[in-house]
Amino acid sequence: MTAKELVNKIFFVEILKAMALTLSRMFSHAVTIQYPTERRPIAPGFRGQHALAKNPEGKAKCVGCGLCAAICPSQCIQIFREKGKVARYEVEVLRCIFCGFCVEACPYGAIVLTENFEYSNYSKEALYMTRENLLSNWDKYMAGKKGEDYFKKFWRPMSEDFGTPQSQAVFRGRR
Amino acid sequence: MEQLERVLETRELNVSMGPQHPATHGVLRLVLDIDGETVVKVTPYVGYLHRGIEKLGESLSYFQALPLTDRMDYVSSMTNNIGYVNAVERLFGIEAPERARFIRTMVGEMARIANHLLWLATHALDIGAMTVFLYCFREREWILELFEKICGARLTVTYPRIGGVRNDVSQEFLDSLYKFTEEFPTRIPEYETLIDKNRIWLKRTVGIGVISAEEAVNWGLTGPTLRGSGVPYDVRKYMPYDAYDKVEFDVPIGTEGDTYDRYRCRMMEFRQSNNIIRQCIEKLPPGPVMADAPKFTLQPKDKMFPITHPTKKHAFYIDEKVCKGCGMCARACPAKAIFGEKKKPHKINQELCLSCANCYVTCKFKALKIVPGGKGLSEEKLRELAAAPLPEEIKNAAGHLVEHFTFVKRGPRAPEGELYVATEVPKGELGFYFVSDGSGKPYRMRIRAPSFIHAGVLPRLCVGHLVADVIANIGTIDLVLGECDR
Repeated sequence: MTAKELVNKIFFVEILKAMALTLSRMFSHAVTIQYPTERRPIAPGFRGQHALAKNPEGKAKCVGCGLCAAICPSQCIQIFREKGKVARYEVEVLRCIFCGFCVEACPYGAIVLTENFEYSNYSKEALYMTRENLLSNWDKYMAGKKGEDYFKKFWRPMSEDFGTPQSQAVFRGRR
Repeated sequence: MEQLERVLETRELNVSMGPQHPATHGVLRLVLDIDGETVVKVTPYVGYLHRGIEKLGESLSYFQALPLTDRMDYVSSMTNNIGYVNAVERLFGIEAPERARFIRTMVGEMARIANHLLWLATHALDIGAMTVFLYCFREREWILELFEKICGARLTVTYPRIGGVRNDVSQEFLDSLYKFTEEFPTRIPEYETLIDKNRIWLKRTVGIGVISAEEAVNWGLTGPTLRGSGVPYDVRKYMPYDAYDKVEFDVPIGTEGDTYDRYRCRMMEFRQSNNIIRQCIEKLPPGPVMADAPKFTLQPKDKMFPITHPTKKHAFYIDEKVCKGCGMCARACPAKAIFGEKKKPHKINQELCLSCANCYVTCKFKALKIVPGGKGLSEEKLRELAAAPLPEEIKNAAGHLVEHFTFVKRGPRAPEGELYVATEVPKGELGFYFVSDGSGKPYRMRIRAPSFIHAGVLPRLCVGHLVADVIANIGTIDLVLGECDR
């Protein structure tokens, strides 16, 4: 053991250094968030609870082809049809794994995943999404420009994914 | 006197540690035979988190089974996804474009940093250094937020796709990631200040769980657990996938093969991963992010717009001259709008029709005709319009629509054969073994999970040490039970 190591050992140098670091952190900003009162921004394209998209006329885009139900890995979407119309949707949110495959499979752009992640409930029935719930979710979270942007950015794949689009993200140097 | 001897007699004690134990990283159960404080025998019991992912994978198409891999090693789900898509791509014989491969390398290394941060946090917490936990989660949160920006989910990302990635990265994401890579190297010395030379940390890690290089190889260890013993084996170097052959990095190794060396290995990997991310951002080439393989990837949706756009009102009409009356369309119709006797031309009840195109896609005889703007017209009018030739634009769109429907309903068909593809995940070597019988689903999907193999080495590491060191040994092999039990 060298003299330096001995001094380090006697005077607890490494522990004092660590304590100095923790002490210096006392004067920096807190990194935690007081959740129910404070909320962090949710990135666009967040995969939360479902919504049924409306066209500019205000009607649901969904025609009921059933591709979302076909691709769903957890089989949580059911569509019931009656007399040429979609009678009832049942999206079982408890079973959904939020992979977003339904959005990708839909050729009509009728289903989206919204930014809503706070949907806990005491009753199980409330967690079966119906047509009304799904449409009101669209008005709540996706109405207006937001919905358009969602389809532009997150409804994939588009032709530009298979080619080289005009503006692609590149390294722009240090900033 | 005899009675007293019986009272004072010492026996081995059988202790069950877990499955509900905060330091067993989930639901690992270890049955310990202890002689006083010394461990004599360890028997690990796994399977408490078994969800049948391998079997589930056999009942889902290659495309659908991707989210299952998120749920294996939920700490670094991105690397699992990358392992899966790499294996399936090799099976299909397609290759992701260059840009997609760079993006995958980038996000894979992000997941590696996130995983090692969580490993360091919990490992130190188990051993008794609480402060590191809080520092590590500060940076891990940063990475998870970046994941959310890129794909909309923080943990179960499902970002890579067979033949590329789901969406291109945005400029905003790339800039903030570069900022992270500049900031992160200043954070690593903070963790090291806290524990690297701390005398309690050294007492708890140096000389604990020593395993020699030869023995580590024989036990089948991989990843940092093996490299701590001084074997420079890394799948990224030996069998490069994605863009690992285009970036420069070192494989840090240890010398002694104890818990402290494995800790140092992972600390060095932080720096290497950070370096790789940086190189990927700097070298990111322009180009497509999805492979041009129409049978194995989803169709671009804008090519279907002439039919599927909500403003277009199409009707479908069955050509009586062509229809053979096989009834396929009637079975495919979700609205039960198609009726007719067997072997006689069928008819669509236009009032019930949803215009969903399921019948059009199913018909093998091309008896179904698309009538643009025909929704709500009378039967005679439809017959008249259906006879007219279709515009080129709609013809193309119909082709894409058929391919899209078939892809979603049946999944991509794999060629017959079997293969094993290994990728380097933060825990070690993750391998996917597929046996394909030529259908849309794998005949057998076997996963070589590093955590499962590492759990097997626990008895070898723990015997002879104290009970408290069992915790250090569980931490050092970086076990995640979701992957171990699958």
